[in-house]
Amino acid sequence: MNDKPTTCGFCSCGCALYVEPRKSGLGIAGLCPSTTHPVSTGRLCIKGWNATASLVRMDRLQTPLVRKGDELQPASWEEAFAFTVDALKRVMDASGPESVGIIGSAKTTNEECYSLVKFARSILCTPNLDGACRFYDASLIPALLDTVGVAASQVDVESLANAGSMLIVGANVMEQLAHIGSRIQDAVENGCNVVAADPRKSRLAPQARLFLHPKPGSDLTWVRALLKTIFDRKLYVDTAPQMPGFEELRASLDDVVMGVLPQVCGIEPDAIAEAAALLAEKKPCVVMFGLGVLQQQDSTLLVKALVDVALLLGGSVMPLRGQNNAQGACDMGVLRGYLPGYQPIDSAEARAKWEAAWGCSISPQAGLSAVDMVQGGVKALLVFGENVALSAPNTERTLSALENLDFLAVSDLYLTETAQLADVVFPACSFLEKDGTFTSIGRRVQRVRKMIDPVGQSKSDLEIIAGLASAFGKQITADPAAVMAEIAANVPMYAHCSYEQFETGWGEPWRAEAATSRLAPIPATDLQPEDPDYPYQLIASRINFHTQTGTMASRCGILTREYPESVVELNPSDAEKLKLRPGRVVQVSSKAGSLTRRVAVSDAVPQGCVHVPHYFGGDSANMLADYVCDPVSGVPIYKGLPVKIEAVS
Amino acid sequence: MNVGDKLILRKSNVSDFFSSLQGEMQLIAPKKRFAGDVVFDVVNSPEEIVWEYGHDIYPPGKRYIFPHYEDMFSYRRGEQISIDVAAEAPKQAIVAIRSCDVTAVRFQERFFSTPIVDPFYKARAENTVLFSLVCNEPPKKECFCICCDGGPYLETGFDVQLTDLGDRFLYEIGSEKGLRASEPRQQYLEPSSEQDIAERKRIELHADSLFQTASYIAKAIIYITSDEVPDEVWEELGSTCFRCAACTNLCPICTCYTVDDRPEPDGSFTRCRSWDSCQYAGFTREASGHNPRPTFGSRVKRRFYHKASFQYIMRDGRHGCVGCGRCVSSCLTKLDLPSVVKKIRRAMHDYIEPKSRPTAFLQ
Repeated sequence: MNDKPTTCGFCSCGCALYVEPRKSGLGIAGLCPSTTHPVSTGRLCIKGWNATASLVRMDRLQTPLVRKGDELQPASWEEAFAFTVDALKRVMDASGPESVGIIGSAKTTNEECYSLVKFARSILCTPNLDGACRFYDASLIPALLDTVGVAASQVDVESLANAGSMLIVGANVMEQLAHIGSRIQDAVENGCNVVAADPRKSRLAPQARLFLHPKPGSDLTWVRALLKTIFDRKLYVDTAPQMPGFEELRASLDDVVMGVLPQVCGIEPDAIAEAAALLAEKKPCVVMFGLGVLQQQDSTLLVKALVDVALLLGGSVMPLRGQNNAQGACDMGVLRGYLPGYQPIDSAEARAKWEAAWGCSISPQAGLSAVDMVQGGVKALLVFGENVALSAPNTERTLSALENLDFLAVSDLYLTETAQLADVVFPACSFLEKDGTFTSIGRRVQRVRKMIDPVGQSKSDLEIIAGLASAFGKQITADPAAVMAEIAANVPMYAHCSYEQFETGWGEPWRAEAATSRLAPIPATDLQPEDPDYPYQLIASRINFHTQTGTMASRCGILTREYPESVVELNPSDAEKLKLRPGRVVQVSSKAGSLTRRVAVSDAVPQGCVHVPHYFGGDSANMLADYVCDPVSGVPIYKGLPVKIEAVS
Repeated sequence: MNVGDKLILRKSNVSDFFSSLQGEMQLIAPKKRFAGDVVFDVVNSPEEIVWEYGHDIYPPGKRYIFPHYEDMFSYRRGEQISIDVAAEAPKQAIVAIRSCDVTAVRFQERFFSTPIVDPFYKARAENTVLFSLVCNEPPKKECFCICCDGGPYLETGFDVQLTDLGDRFLYEIGSEKGLRASEPRQQYLEPSSEQDIAERKRIELHADSLFQTASYIAKAIIYITSDEVPDEVWEELGSTCFRCAACTNLCPICTCYTVDDRPEPDGSFTRCRSWDSCQYAGFTREASGHNPRPTFGSRVKRRFYHKASFQYIMRDGRHGCVGCGRCVSSCLTKLDLPSVVKKIRRAMHDYIEPKSRPTAFLQ
C-alpha cells in the first residue's frame, strides 16, 4: 500500500484515500479511506469505494490517435504534438488567434488548469478560454463576486453539522455529495431546521422540517417572496440594515404579491412564512443550492437572491458544485473573462501583472464562452477532460458543429463521444496516475499523489500541455511542484501552498475573506411562457451512481449494475392520463431534441413533470436543452424545459 | 513448549523475535501513514510496527486472507487455451491484530470451508499465523466487542495472544500453528510469573469496564428470528442509507464477493474476485429484472437477518457480529449494528402492542 493518500477525483467533497497497487497488470489490490482526514473521517461514498474500477482498464486510450483520412490511427506523442501545432498554426495564420478556442476541465489538477491558462493566454494568445463549468455552475461566479465577494463556498463540509438552519434548493445532495448529505443528517440530529426546495421529493425528505415543491423554473418567484417575508417580519439580523444594498433590495421587492404563489409556484404563502420562521429561528443559517438553481433560467439572479437570504439571516452560502476540482479550476482562471485568482481580464492592471509574470501580451477581450465555442464560434478547438458532446445542450447541433470544426483536439481517458470527432486524441492519465492538487468544495487545496503507473502511454494533462508548449518552441514545466510554486507566487489565495507544506498535514482552506458583503436587488423577471405543444416540464436530476457525462462512472461494473437502465418517471396520475403503464417505451421531446426511455411511475414526481435522471453516456438529458442561456453567466437552461411525451409503438 | 503455555516476551526482545519470524514469513502489522493514519501493511522490519495504534478500519484479518481484490486465475483464449492459477498464498504473520478480528477470521474460516471448501481462502488461511494483541482498553468509542463475544481478549481461537504488561508481553500460545511459530524462537520467551497472570487479570477487568457503546443484540436476535420487525421499520431505516456498502466492505465477517474477468495488457484475462455487498440492488437482481430485495429497507433487513437471525447462528456457530465497531465508524448515516438494534427495540414499542415474545424458535 502507498504510504501517502491521494484525493478522490469523483466529487468536490475531496476525501483522502489510500490505494494498494496490484502486483502486476492493471488494477488495484485494495483501497480504504483516511480516518484522520477532516472530510472522509474513515468513510467513503459508493463512488469512492469503487473509484478505481472505472479508471484503470484496458479500454483506456493507450496511445495518441491522429486522424488519417476518416480514421483515428495510433501515433507517437511527437507526431500527435507536431500534428496539433501544425494545425493550430495553420488556423491562426489564416484567421488569427481568435479563431482558436480552449475548453478546460473541472476534473484536472490545479497545476494542469493553471498551465492550460498560461498556454492559452501566453502561447496561443487566444481570448477564447473557458471551463466546463459553463455547462454546469458558472452562474455562481458573477453572483458571488457581486455579493459576498468570494466565488466559493463560505462553509466547509466539516462544520456543517453545527448549522442551526439550512435552506437547500435544487440539489439532490444526498445522492451526489454523500459527505455533505451525511453532515446534513448530523446537523438534523443536532436540531437543525432544514428547509428543502425541489420540485421532486428527493432523498432529502426524511431530513427536512419543511419540503417545498415549487414548479420547475419558478424559484425566483418564491425566493423573492421569502425575502419579502424576512423584511416584513423583521427576521433579518441586527447588522443587516447597515449592509450596502439593504434598502435597494427592500425596494426591489415592492412588487411581490404573495397571492400569486399558489398559481405560479404551487406553494402556499403560509409555507413561505413557515420557511422564513424556521430559517430565522436557529443560527447559523447555511444556504445551499445545486444545479437545480445553477442551470435554471436567470440563474445568476437566482443565486444572488439566495445569497441575500443568507446575508439577511446572518448566515453563509454553500454552492453545491459537483466536480472534484470545480473550485480549483475557476481559482486558476479556467474561466471566460478572468485571469487566475478571479482577476478580470478587462482590468489593465490585472493584465499587466500577468503579462509581466508570463512575458507576453494578453488580449483584453473576454473571448467566447464554452457554449459559444461548441456552437462553432471558433475554427479550431482544444478540449481537455470534458465530454462536451454530452455536457453541451442540443446534442444534435453540438455534434454537427464539432464535426464542422477545422481542427479538434481532445485530451481524455477514453474515446468519448467528443474524442470520436477529434483530429487528434491525447490519452490522459487518471488522477490515480499523476501528482498535483485539487481544491475541495471547502477550499482546501489537497495533494493528488501518483498511486499507480500510467495506463499504456498515457500522460498527465500537465505533461501534454508542456509537450504542446515545447512543440511551439516555448516552455511550460511539467513538474507539478514547480507549477504550484508559480501559482503561490502569483495567486494570492494560494500563497500558503507549497509541496513541502502539503507533506505536513491536510492543510488549511484558502481564506475566503471578502471586503464587504453587498445585498443585491432582486427584480422580478418574466416567467417562461407555457407552450401547449410541450405541456410537461422536465426535471433532470443526478443520481448516486452517476457522475457528469459518465466517462468514468459508466465503466464501473458495480455502479452500472446498480443502475442498469435509465427511465423517465411520471406521476401516477399523469401516467394514467397518458395511458402509460410502467415499462412502456416513450419518447420525451423538446424543441431541441428527444430521448427514448421506459416509463416508471413515482409519487415523488409532481403532476405535470417528467423526471429524467442523468444517465451514463449515450443520450444525456442535456440533449433536450437548447442554446438558451442565463443572460449574465451564459449557462444554458437545462432545468424546467417544456417537453412532451409520446408512446413509441 | 505446549499449546496453552503462558509465557513472557520482554519488549527488549520483541524486535529480535519478530526479525527471526520474518525470516520465515512476511510480517503484516499496523504501519504509520500520513497525518496520524495507521493501516496494516507488510512491514520491512519490526521497528515499523505501531503497537499502540488503536484500531484499523480496513480489517486486516479479512484483507490478508480474503483480499479486497484477488486474482484467482488467468487464462488465454484462442487456439491454445491455457489456464494458470494466479492466486497467491504467501506465508504471513498478522501481528497486533485485535481480538475481534481474530474471532471474525475463525468465522470466515468456517464459512469458507463448509460445506464446500474454497481453495483460495484455505490456502491463504493455512499460511497465516495470527499474533493478536489484547485491548487493554477499548481502542475506540465505537467498540462493542464485549456485547458480541468478540473481545477485548480471547479465551480460545487465537494462535498467539499478546497482552501488553508494560515492559513485557504476556505470550499465550493458543494453537498448533501458534506453537510451530513459537518453538524456533524459544530463546526469546521465558516463563510467566503469578504476578504477570494477576496483572493480566487486572487488565481484563479494567478493559471490561470501559466500553461506551452497547449493543443489545440478544433482543434483536429474538425480534428478527421471529420475524416480528414490521417492514415499515426496515423501510424507515433504509430511507437514510447512502448506498456506499462500507458496512459490508469493512465488516470482518461479511463474506460476499463478486467475480469478473479482466483483460490484461498482455492479451490474457484474469478472473478476479472482489468484495461485494448485499446492500447493492444489483447483488440480488435476477436476469429477468425481478429483484427479491427491491427496496433499501429490504436490503437492510437482509443484512440484519444475516447478522442476527437464529437460522444463521445455527449454521455459522455464532451471530454475525464481533463488535469491532467498523460499521459505526464507516457509515455515512447511522445504519450500524448498535444503532439499528436500538432502533428496532424502540420501534417494537412504537409499532406493536405489547405481547409475550415467542420463544418457539429456540425449540
